[in-house]
Amino acid sequence: MSITHHPGEELLIAYASGTADEAVSLIVATHIALCPQCRRAVRAAEAAGGVLLEDLKPARISDGALKAVLSRLDSPVATKPPVAKAVTDSNVPEPLRSYIGGSLQAVSWIPVARGLAYRPLFRRGASRAQLVRSAPGAGIAMHTHRGEEFTLVLEGGYGDTTGHYLRGDLQSASAEIEHRPIADEGGYCFSLAVVDAPLSFRSSAIALLAKVMGL
Amino acid sequence: MANASLAAEPWPSSSPAWTRGPGRLAHRHLSLLRARVMDQETASAVRLDELLVAVGRLRDRDAFQTLFQHFAPRIKGYLLRLGAGASLADDLAQEAMLTMWRKAALFDPAKASAATWIFTVARNLRIDAIRRERRPEIDPEDPALVPDAEPAADAQMAQAGDESRLREALKVLSLEQVQVIEMSFFADKPHSAIAKELGLPLGTVKSRMRLAMARIRTKLGDLR
Ligand SMILES: [Zn+2]
Repeated sequence: MSITHHPGEELLIAYASGTADEAVSLIVATHIALCPQCRRAVRAAEAAGGVLLEDLKPARISDGALKAVLSRLDSPVATKPPVAKAVTDSNVPEPLRSYIGGSLQAVSWIPVARGLAYRPLFRRGASRAQLVRSAPGAGIAMHTHRGEEFTLVLEGGYGDTTGHYLRGDLQSASAEIEHRPIADEGGYCFSLAVVDAPLSFRSSAIALLAKVMGL
Repeated sequence: MANASLAAEPWPSSSPAWTRGPGRLAHRHLSLLRARVMDQETASAVRLDELLVAVGRLRDRDAFQTLFQHFAPRIKGYLLRLGAGASLADDLAQEAMLTMWRKAALFDPAKASAATWIFTVARNLRIDAIRRERRPEIDPEDPALVPDAEPAADAQMAQAGDESRLREALKVLSLEQVQVIEMSFFADKPHSAIAKELGLPLGTVKSRMRLAMARIRTKLGDLR
């Protein structure tokens, strides 16, 4: 497998610095599980974070802070109950696997159009993450969007005017692009989509459904 | 071949000294030897790494205190830069130090410097405590994770050496490049907002980040 579409450097830095929101972080982290090259880039950016921290002007710590922390070193840690690990026969890598609780086949899909189904995962502020399942030859909805949209292929593939996308590939689409992705023949295409503004669908029926589903 | 390389090294190269119980002295010795040939910046980075290893393996309280004095004021400074109030920043700096104490056994100096590791602790704590979000992270043990193509021989290289090279890389970045990198770490803003604040097109900010990262990665020996 070779990944040809990678997140931009600015996304990797936003993830490493911790300024990316949870939805964007989820799609970047799932990409780097599949892409050693970007994983190394994130480590390099984290190392830059270490150097920046080292060079920061130290702030004055309150009196007694060290003593207070030393007195807590031996106090028992309130451990969270261990999270049941999601099934490992899934080819969905962490961290996404924990968000969906297992394999893509077991997800309860919501059909939204012919050959197209969604599963919203979560939304934080203006950002939302959702899973998309497209039947062979089906579209991944025709929409224009405000803000940016990121799509990570988990299984299968799709193509649009900008290129062809397979497992691990991450597509970034800015507001100006109106692309019409079509899933490859030969199997379902599963992807993770993150948008940082509500999608605006062309078809009013889909728009209504999207509204009902809170997409 | 193996003999030749062994002879060239004044210390056994089989496994890092800190992985063997009674080898702590050997490790100190090794660090001292290395420190002597490195510049002072690097030597102090090696010392911080060593202190963090001592906290993880030996629950060394003296080492913890030294690390606290070094890092707690920096973490507080980091949180202040990101807009936290003084008392919250102080509390979280203390929490970060406590987390460091509890998780120090996970620190691996072959993978990251102490400063980098502690940066990630502080970053995650801020996401959890201030933004109240989860931090999605890969699981290195995950069977679905695609492993590195070749376990690069240089991966074993002392991370502290990387850090001094990284410092060099940051020194030769243009002021504009340093500015966008700093803002992406210390201004809690998307790059579109950073661009607006600098009065630049988004594309310019992105290309500065790209150039800066390319420099950093070239210095780290990871050519894309
Ligand atoms: Zn990549």
